[in-house]
Amino acid sequence: MLERMLIGRIENRVLVGTVAFLAIMIVSGWVAINEGARMQAYQDLQLARSIENGAALYVVNCSTCHSSDGRGVQGAGPGLNNPQLFGYDFFPEMTQQITELNTEKKALQVERGHSDTTDARKAEIDARLEAINTEIEAVANQARSQVQAAVDMGYDPLQFSRTKNLGWVGTLDSFIFTTLVHGRPASAKYSSLGAMPAWSQAAGGPLRDDQIRDVTNYILNWNRDWTLDDLFAVRHFAVQPVDPATFVGASTEPSIAQEFNSDVDAVVAALATVVGDPQSGQTLYNGSLACAGCHVAGAGLVAPALEGTYTRIVDSRLTLPEFAGYSPEKYIVESILYPGNFLAPPAYPNAMTPNFADQLTLQKIADLVAFLETQTGPSPE
Amino acid sequence: MSVLPFPSFLDDVKEKGLKKAVFEVVDESVERLTAGLNIQDLREAIRGEAPSRRPNPRLRPHADGFWLHMRPSYFNSDVTGLYPTFRLGWLSTYFVFFETITGIFLMVWYTPSPQVAYSDMLNILGNVPLGQLIRDLHRLGAEAMVLIVALHMMRTLFTASYKKPRQFTWFTGVILLALTGFLSFTGYLLPWDQLALWAVTIGASMIEATPPEIVGTNLNLLIRGGPEIGANGLLRFYLVHVLALPALLFVFTGVHYYKVILHGHSLPPQKENKGEDTAKRVPLDKRVYFIPDVLTSEIMWIAVTTLILIVLCVWFYDAPLENHADPQITPLGTTAPWYFLWIQGALKLGDKVFWGIIFPGIVVGGLAVLPYLDVSKSRRFADRRVMISVGLALISLSSWFSYMGLSEFAVSTSADSEILHELTFPPAHNHIGKLLPIPFEELKPGYYTTRQFEYGVDSIPQAVEDFNALIEQPFTADANITRNTEEKEIAAELTAAGLQTTSITFRPVPGDAPELYAVMEEFAHLLEINNSELNDAWGAVVITDNQIGLKRLDVIITWNEVQTEGGKPVLGENGEPVLVLNELGEPIRRFNVVHIFIHENSAYFNN
Repeated sequence: MLERMLIGRIENRVLVGTVAFLAIMIVSGWVAINEGARMQAYQDLQLARSIENGAALYVVNCSTCHSSDGRGVQGAGPGLNNPQLFGYDFFPEMTQQITELNTEKKALQVERGHSDTTDARKAEIDARLEAINTEIEAVANQARSQVQAAVDMGYDPLQFSRTKNLGWVGTLDSFIFTTLVHGRPASAKYSSLGAMPAWSQAAGGPLRDDQIRDVTNYILNWNRDWTLDDLFAVRHFAVQPVDPATFVGASTEPSIAQEFNSDVDAVVAALATVVGDPQSGQTLYNGSLACAGCHVAGAGLVAPALEGTYTRIVDSRLTLPEFAGYSPEKYIVESILYPGNFLAPPAYPNAMTPNFADQLTLQKIADLVAFLETQTGPSPE
Repeated sequence: MSVLPFPSFLDDVKEKGLKKAVFEVVDESVERLTAGLNIQDLREAIRGEAPSRRPNPRLRPHADGFWLHMRPSYFNSDVTGLYPTFRLGWLSTYFVFFETITGIFLMVWYTPSPQVAYSDMLNILGNVPLGQLIRDLHRLGAEAMVLIVALHMMRTLFTASYKKPRQFTWFTGVILLALTGFLSFTGYLLPWDQLALWAVTIGASMIEATPPEIVGTNLNLLIRGGPEIGANGLLRFYLVHVLALPALLFVFTGVHYYKVILHGHSLPPQKENKGEDTAKRVPLDKRVYFIPDVLTSEIMWIAVTTLILIVLCVWFYDAPLENHADPQITPLGTTAPWYFLWIQGALKLGDKVFWGIIFPGIVVGGLAVLPYLDVSKSRRFADRRVMISVGLALISLSSWFSYMGLSEFAVSTSADSEILHELTFPPAHNHIGKLLPIPFEELKPGYYTTRQFEYGVDSIPQAVEDFNALIEQPFTADANITRNTEEKEIAAELTAAGLQTTSITFRPVPGDAPELYAVMEEFAHLLEINNSELNDAWGAVVITDNQIGLKRLDVIITWNEVQTEGGKPVLGENGEPVLVLNELGEPIRRFNVVHIFIHENSAYFNN
């Protein structure tokens, strides 16, 4: 019937063309329907090949310091095939317990600080706080005793996540990627094989970004359900972040805190013995101390602007009753060492770091004072 | 009478009724859109009936419309069959549009920068719906277009359709052929993978040979955008690929097509008298009208060709994408794209300037001016024995040169490197290292040796046991000299490659790993056929777990060094290779180790 009704009445080329168009539609539609699954499969395949490439790069470039099985080299590179890197918590119940104790501790501390808390209650709180500290220590010791071998190598079961220990806010993926890109210049201090270099071409290293991505994928592929055996196999745990105060204080000169016990009057008196260099003061201001990050013209919301600092101090600040008898130097020194003592109008937040006494030496503070004394233009306030 | 100062649709409705008035408006619109055919005319054309009004309305779109102004209104029935055109010219035109359309889709997802080009490719393949299909179509279409255009030229050569008055048509055709080749070549680089970089590097290096040196050097710099192909080079190739060459291609396609219409399609040589050209004088009984016969036929061909391409791309063809381009790593067996292989082959004959520039120049230039040299009048095959022989010789020569262009020809690497490459190379040129497609579950950790086949397939455990004993023997029998065992040498080689190992014990390939077994057998065979260069050789595959779902495979070849001359082993009087001996008069053991990683999701077995 089809023959009589359709095929016999249409010229062959029209029939063939029509059938071919329909076939194109059907095949394309069939492909389109399966496209989601195909794309997923391709991404899996691509990740797999990326891991293979990363493995090859790792053997050549990384295994000297981190060892070819990724468990690290004692005294050189930390283990990457390592539950701590992936933030694996072996003792979730104890972690929970400690978290609860800490929550309680904080609440008690707040209560103790209230003005209407009676002395009797304060004594009660102090007793409980002490009990909590003992309890926390007991739980921590219990956890530590179970992984003693790893603890001996610098592992702390309460600090089970490398990224948390560093205060890293991104993902583990971005942490590894970024570390590969820039390396770890500071690791020269504690690695026998020297600092981890920057690997990305963008940062002066040998690898392209796609290769950095491959190595990242390879390292991430170590993630699994970790066992204590995995933990004990790690040969080297990452060093805890270095305290910035000790890091900068590594210079031989004593800091303000060490030399003058952060006493403002003593510092001001000592300033007479050194000559400040406004040029290096400016370098400090814009560079390592990062003052310029907040004290910029027009910012206005976070901190007073740099422009006209000296004018402002002389013309408006020192006229205030609480600064009677202050010299401009004393005002500046006190503002740097104790930024919370006086919050300039109009009520800037108390956001300035209070640890400059640890970071600065007498010479540096003299440089800063000299630099700020050059800001004699009109004040934007 | 209308209230308006001109006749309106409403008047028509009042006068003729709604149905008739609407039909007239539609009919008139159709006639304007088709530049001459109203609904009745279209219906008759589609039904295959003769036109019912005179003059024939089907000729008006050719005379009045834009789209058909360069299509003839009728053809000679002698040229509408498969012979003599084989539809090759039409197909070439089809591919111009096909490549433009698929190319525009790809442009949407592509950035010509070494930083992102490759990841854009991965994105097209893994994250763009139908991206892989479009890319496959574009790539397959490009390769097919080169082939079709070349065949079109050969056909024209054999039927002598280039003769007067079509000399200039042929000339523009040769330009179109060159443009097609360059378009395909410039597109080759864009995926920015190893295949692209090295094929184009080889192709571009031919340009460097252009004499005099100052011209060659600067041409090379101009094209590559620097001493090496990098960001500048990629951008230049991209712009040439999507702007300059397509613009030229469209211009010359227009000229070529116009000339075809101007002179008519040349008839089969035997259909007209010698020296005559009767293409434009089509007798009434031989006329095949464009509307509807040729038009429907062409639409059918569009559908059929597109369907063939889609079916090929869905089930049979995957455009290659190798690893990210890396100027530091030259892959073994690099070749130019296949349509430039003949030049690469010719280059192996000797002088770079002659074979790389002058010879291709003579071939292409000779083709371009052919109609002005071959001015004999007859187009009959019998009278053109010389030209047909020249054409056939050209085909044979280019096939032979292309074969010589292959890396298999006259480029030899040492046998051990060749064998290791054969076993481990990543997918390239539609081939893959033999170890890669082994199913992941068959890669069982262990040490496997080609010596397990030494006593035949029935005595494999015995052979492996003897072999384990053998490698623990020191190399020398002299007890006064302490020298390493083969086992220790291998352990040292593996450790240097990052695989910690202390003691080595080989075992037979397990029975549930038949494909691994087959590859080991093949490995043993490869060593056997190269035994003059690889004296007393054995090979091993070491499989270790690296991560979950990731295995490491170390492939080892060790052999006694033999004396070689020009890459070939020197044979002694007894026909045996001559060994290189150390100061103790003992053979020197050589090692070559390569390692690869295989992930369970890599799906190499699908290649």
